[in-house]
This record gives sequence, structure tokens and C-alpha cells, in this order.
Amino acid sequence: MPGVPSMNNHVRELRGAQGWSQADLAERLDVSRQTVNAIETGKYDPSLPLAFKIARLFRQSIESIFEPGIES
Amino acid sequence: MPRLNQRRYEQRLMVAMSIYVVVLLLALPVVRTVASIPLKGMLAVAPALPMLYVIWLMAQRIRDSDELEQRMHLIALGVATAVVAACSLVGGFLATAQVLPIDGSVLIWVFPLMMFCYGATRWWIARRYGSDMSCDLAMPMHWRLSIIAAMMTVVGIFTYLRRDVLDAGIFIGMGAALAVLALLKLTTYLRRRRTTGQHGNGR
Repeated sequence: MPGVPSMNNHVRELRGAQGWSQADLAERLDVSRQTVNAIETGKYDPSLPLAFKIARLFRQSIESIFEPGIES
Repeated sequence: MPRLNQRRYEQRLMVAMSIYVVVLLLALPVVRTVASIPLKGMLAVAPALPMLYVIWLMAQRIRDSDELEQRMHLIALGVATAVVAACSLVGGFLATAQVLPIDGSVLIWVFPLMMFCYGATRWWIARRYGSDMSCDLAMPMHWRLSIIAAMMTVVGIFTYLRRDVLDAGIFIGMGAALAVLALLKLTTYLRRRRTTGQHGNGR
């Protein structure tokens, strides 16, 4: 169940810059499109392995993609 | 072992459910008339075999899901287990106290109740996570509901022919309700297609 979103992220912007759809990104990360959507909208914070996978895919550090939200 | 994707899962599920309905229609009328106990037992258990395959398919699907999907499956299964356990406990005590006349045949509703609670909870959680599960289904929801409605109606008609009017009413009623739901889903689907021009791919 989505609790209080604890992180903000720039996944949507990074994906947009690559010209990928959510389905494209989902395929590259080996997750479902709804998971990508939930991450982008801040309704789900990915696990550490998935966050690393996202960071590697966009060739950025985790901290530059994910940052603490207001709650944390 | 290859991963079980949504399309393959739905195809296998549909085949298993069709076999279930056929076996149910063929085996159940015969089971009461057969004298041999082993044969009676085999015929009674036969419809459960496709459902065991469905449970195995579900386990495979959950195993091959990503982390968010597994989380949703877990919550949905937890809620379904809690509801069924609570109903069984209350029903069991009421039957023991002879307040409610329940016989063993009520057990046949355990699996459908569990699947209903599981499906409803998954749908609710998916919406909370901001997604519409039907977008990721290989077969649109209105088609899926129509097929289930048709199966229910067929079972209802067969039940009616066996002169079991109450069960026939239940099955045909459920079939009609699902057909209405399928129509509503079709309306939503067509409206969404008209506004977006295509299935939303999140661009």
C-alpha cells in the first residue's frame, strides 16, 4: 500500500530526455509499465537494487536521481 | 525456466478455465448416479484438476513479477486469506452451535471467495499506486468479463436443464451482472481510446 512518499525523483525527466516511453523504460529495467509509472509519480520508492539499475541505465549517481522528500 | 509473461499467462488461464467448465458440466451430473465409490471420487475430483493448474499458474506469475507487483500480490493474498479465514471461523462456530445449517458442500465456495477478495484487493491497490491494471492486460477487461459471463451463463443453462432452479438462477444472475460490467468497461475503454487516440503508453 502506498504510504507517505518519502523521495522525489527525476526519472520522468531523464526518460523524456531519452525519448523513451514508460513501456520502453520498463522493458530496459525488466519491470512492468505500472511500476515505472508508480516510481515516476512518487507513489512507490524502488528498492536499492532497482534504484541502482535506474542510475546505471541513465549513467548517473543514485543521489542525482533520487532525493529525500519533504517527509524525510 | 522461461518467464511467464502476461499474454501467455492469460492464454493458459483461459484454456484451464474452459476445461474446468467442460469437466464440471460433464462430470457433475454423472457423479450422483455412479455406484462405484472410486469412480465417484475420481469424477468428483476431476473439476479440481484444472483449478490446481490455475493455482500453479498464479504461483508462477507471482514468482515472475517485479518488486511492486509482488508487493501488491502479497497484500492482496493477505487480505483474501484474512477474509476467508474470518468467514470460515465465524461460519464454523455458527454451524457447531447449530445456528446455521452448513454442510460440507459450502467448501466449494472457499476458492471463489478467495479469488474474488484477491482480485478486488489487487484492483484497489493498483489504483492506489496510480495505475489501471486493465492497461497492462494482454486481453482487454471487457473481453475477459464477457468470456467469464458467457461461461457462467452456459453453466447456468446446464444447471437449469438439470432442474436445479436455484443454482441456475445464481449462475445466470452472476453471468448477467458480469455482462453489464463488461459493457461498462467497454464504454470506458472506447471513451478512453477516443480521448487519447491510442492505448496510453505513458509518453
